[in-house]
Amino acid sequence: MAEKLDVQQGTLALMILKTLQVLGPLHGYGVARRIEETSKNRLTVNYGTLYPALVKLEQEGFVTTEWRQSENNRRAKFYSLTPAGRKQLAREAREWHKTADLIAAFLAPKREAP
Amino acid sequence: MRHLRAARARLAGIFTRDRAADDLRDELQSHLEMEIAENIRRGMPPDEARRKALLASGGLTQAAEAVRDQRGLPWAESIAADIRYALRALRHSRAFTAVVVITLALGIGANTAIFSVVHGVLLKPLPHREGDRLMYLRQSTDGPGQANISFSVPEVRDLRNGVKALAGIAEYSPWTLTLQGDNDAVRIDVGLVTGNYFEVMGLSPLLGRLTRPSDDGAGVPPVMILTHDYWMKRFGGDSSVVGRQVRLDGQSVTVIGVLQPAPFFPDRIDALLNMVVSPHHVGATMVQNRSHRMTEVVARLAPDAGVEQARTEVAAVYARMQSEYSEAYDPGSHYRVAIIPFKEALGERAQLTLWLLMAAAAFVMIISAANVVNLTLMRGVRREQELVVRAALGAGVGRLRRLLLVENLMLTLVGAVIGVLIAIGGVNLLVSLAARYSPRANEIRLDGAVFSFTLALSVALALLLSFVASLPKEGTFASAVAAGVRRMSGSLKKHRLQRALVVAQVAVSVVLLAGAGLLTRTMIHLSAVDNGLRAEEVLAMEVPLLTLSGGPSNGDVAAWYQSIMESDVVAKEQYERMRREIRALPGVNEVGVGSTIPLRSSGMGFEVKAEDKPLTVGEAVPRADVRTASPEYFRAAGIPLLAGREFSSTDQPRSGLVVIVNQTFADQFFSSQDPVGKRIAWTGELLRFSPISGDWRTIVGVVGNTHDGGPDAAPRAAVFMPFTQMLAIGGVVVIRADSSAAGLVSAATRVVHRVAPMAPIENVLTVAQIKDQSLSPRRLNAALVSSFSILAVIIAAVGIAGVLAFSVSARTDEIGIRMSLGAERGRVQRMILKEGSVLLAMGLVLGVAGAFFAAGVIRELLFGVAPHDPVTLFGVAIVMAGIGIVACWIPALRAARIDPAIAMRST
Repeated sequence: MAEKLDVQQGTLALMILKTLQVLGPLHGYGVARRIEETSKNRLTVNYGTLYPALVKLEQEGFVTTEWRQSENNRRAKFYSLTPAGRKQLAREAREWHKTADLIAAFLAPKREAP
Repeated sequence: MRHLRAARARLAGIFTRDRAADDLRDELQSHLEMEIAENIRRGMPPDEARRKALLASGGLTQAAEAVRDQRGLPWAESIAADIRYALRALRHSRAFTAVVVITLALGIGANTAIFSVVHGVLLKPLPHREGDRLMYLRQSTDGPGQANISFSVPEVRDLRNGVKALAGIAEYSPWTLTLQGDNDAVRIDVGLVTGNYFEVMGLSPLLGRLTRPSDDGAGVPPVMILTHDYWMKRFGGDSSVVGRQVRLDGQSVTVIGVLQPAPFFPDRIDALLNMVVSPHHVGATMVQNRSHRMTEVVARLAPDAGVEQARTEVAAVYARMQSEYSEAYDPGSHYRVAIIPFKEALGERAQLTLWLLMAAAAFVMIISAANVVNLTLMRGVRREQELVVRAALGAGVGRLRRLLLVENLMLTLVGAVIGVLIAIGGVNLLVSLAARYSPRANEIRLDGAVFSFTLALSVALALLLSFVASLPKEGTFASAVAAGVRRMSGSLKKHRLQRALVVAQVAVSVVLLAGAGLLTRTMIHLSAVDNGLRAEEVLAMEVPLLTLSGGPSNGDVAAWYQSIMESDVVAKEQYERMRREIRALPGVNEVGVGSTIPLRSSGMGFEVKAEDKPLTVGEAVPRADVRTASPEYFRAAGIPLLAGREFSSTDQPRSGLVVIVNQTFADQFFSSQDPVGKRIAWTGELLRFSPISGDWRTIVGVVGNTHDGGPDAAPRAAVFMPFTQMLAIGGVVVIRADSSAAGLVSAATRVVHRVAPMAPIENVLTVAQIKDQSLSPRRLNAALVSSFSILAVIIAAVGIAGVLAFSVSARTDEIGIRMSLGAERGRVQRMILKEGSVLLAMGLVLGVAGAFFAAGVIRELLFGVAPHDPVTLFGVAIVMAGIGIVACWIPALRAARIDPAIAMRST
């Protein structure tokens, strides 16, 4: 089994927003599951990381919450993106791509001409 | 925006705590159940599914805590927890809390009260617009009472024309007028000012308008502006007073405005008027004569000029004036001019006293703080075990430090609150003290600035207290616990700090005690000064009947002079009737009439010469105070006749001119000869503008000196003229009583009202009251410093006893061993006493050295005692040593009572 990584705080917010964008309103368990699946189980998301991040997003106004029935008839708290959250996702994704490109370019095995 | 929203949500989170906690529990529960269900779906047995799910969650409690931290403001909550904890801890050690809070409250209270006075009188910006650019000019010469001789109009004119660094120079002439009401008359102190005065001073009207340059000169209507204080006092703040006509010295004057509250210098005044109200001030003698000095000068610095530049220019102009008009500047008297910021001039007299009190209060604060630091250190040592356990349970050093800080802040803030209450109680007393020294006393407030000072002081103290306790380095706590350490402070180092603090306390107490001792001895010397009067039960009442300032109407000087002479005749008749009728009252021993209250300066002095006694070159022109007296005046006031005779009924206006001089005058002019029969005359430039002639006058008697400038001023030369041979200036009735002078006040007042119903009566004073007035500010001063020093000594004694007691308890084991090895109780006791005595001795040496230095600073406040008075210093050292040894004795006795068996067993 591959070594599991704890997800980093900063990137977790982005992952949550993206998950909510793709899957629509979803409860905490669903979000955790989805992140773990998408990472092919290389990431684990425990409660202590996930829920503070969700609370923070809610405080910042990027998600709203609502208690309702889940697909298999359990009561669960559902998180959904707000318009501000959508904008934030776009912005952070853009930033992330930029950073990733930069790092990639930086790390690319390229030899300078002498 | 995003952060703002988050912050608001977090803040709200503090208050919606319970609901949020329920919500979170439900949410985590549902998450867990979903996970279990999923695990079961994957084929795990239910128990295994549950175990796995819980494992993956990473701990529900931790998660809940992490969310809680995110949701609320964790630091605010942990501070709330710290406060709760601190309260609990302080409640547990009540004695410690009480001692610390009381000690701090006394220190903070004293400092708050004194600072409020220092701030109000010396530091606060002036209410005048750009008050820092306001300057006061002072001309002085040598000799008693010559420190401020003010300026003449020609001098002001020269300064105005010559000094470019002063943008505006305004004149202000103090004057007294009688304000006639419907059925009474009062004397008011006023300032006659030039039209540019308010512009220069930067003052605005509260109501109506102020004077302007068009109000200058003769031939304009006289107008009056009330000061804020007088408007409130006399008119009850009635705004309809503006535009009203009032009668001042027989003239009709219009009130045109009320001035904003502002301090005046040199004295408080009731109203300001344009010059025209006093014909004298717009007359030729005043305007043209260089020696006719009765104008105070205030000026405003030009926008681009500094004080130094102004000083240089004023000096240059003044030097030119002196060479050009040498007749007006007698070289022997050393004429000089000074330019000082108005704010400093206002604080001049108060300065030394107030800084002395501030220093005394600061010393009390230092001693209190040292005591509290010591108490905190001792308590810190006792609490080490607790702190170690807390650290072992996960509290970092930072957290522990914060805990201490919160605790100490609570102590100092409670101390501050009680201290402010003490200050509120004390500030009225201080205002009455400051009023004797400064025109700004009514600006003293416990205001924002003062409270900021108190708060800053408290916080600084709390920080100090929190950081003297040395906490061990991060990470060493746990190992200390593991090793079973009960105490882990570097005891030696801490002990050294404690000892140093005790030494400092003793030293500072000695300095304060020495100050108190010197001031108290000054008081004793002052009250023992023989004021020159041979009677105690004397009542004086000032009843001015003659008015000189009415002035010539239509410029008819002769008619004006005639009217004064007529008024003088009437006044003298009235005085004579008063004298006779009061004399007939039961309990009255003698009644005299004169120009001036005994023991007060007449405020009027002229140059004087003696026949056949020419001045040597460079000698200062002698001056003497002018006073008048009826034949009975000396007996009534208790002034002893030393040689010759008193005035008699034969000294009449048309008989030969005679005078009586005082001892100082006789010594000054006729050191070895008998002055009786010699002739003297008033002289000098100023005489021309006075109703006094420069004719020769024969000395018929010599009377004893009286301390007219207060007990600490040398007696001045004085010349008494017969009441009948001079205008009835002043107008003081002096009554000597058989038993109680104070008991005659109402009967005498009735007589005065019957004889002169419209006459103002002011300054009804017994001699005891006059004496008391000149002593009371200094007595209060000495009392304040004394109470500060007593406070300091008590706190210091508690400090010594506390530190030694602590040392004893820390050395219980050692003492137990010593005693079980055969040390006697007496020896143990001596050992502890010696420990204390060393500290005491060091403190005493440092303190005496400090007092030696500090006493030089307050030299000016002392009288009859040298600053380095060995008796005081020695006495103070003895007192402090005695109290210190008593304070050492208590812990020493305790040490001697240690039972070795118990001491050894408890180890």
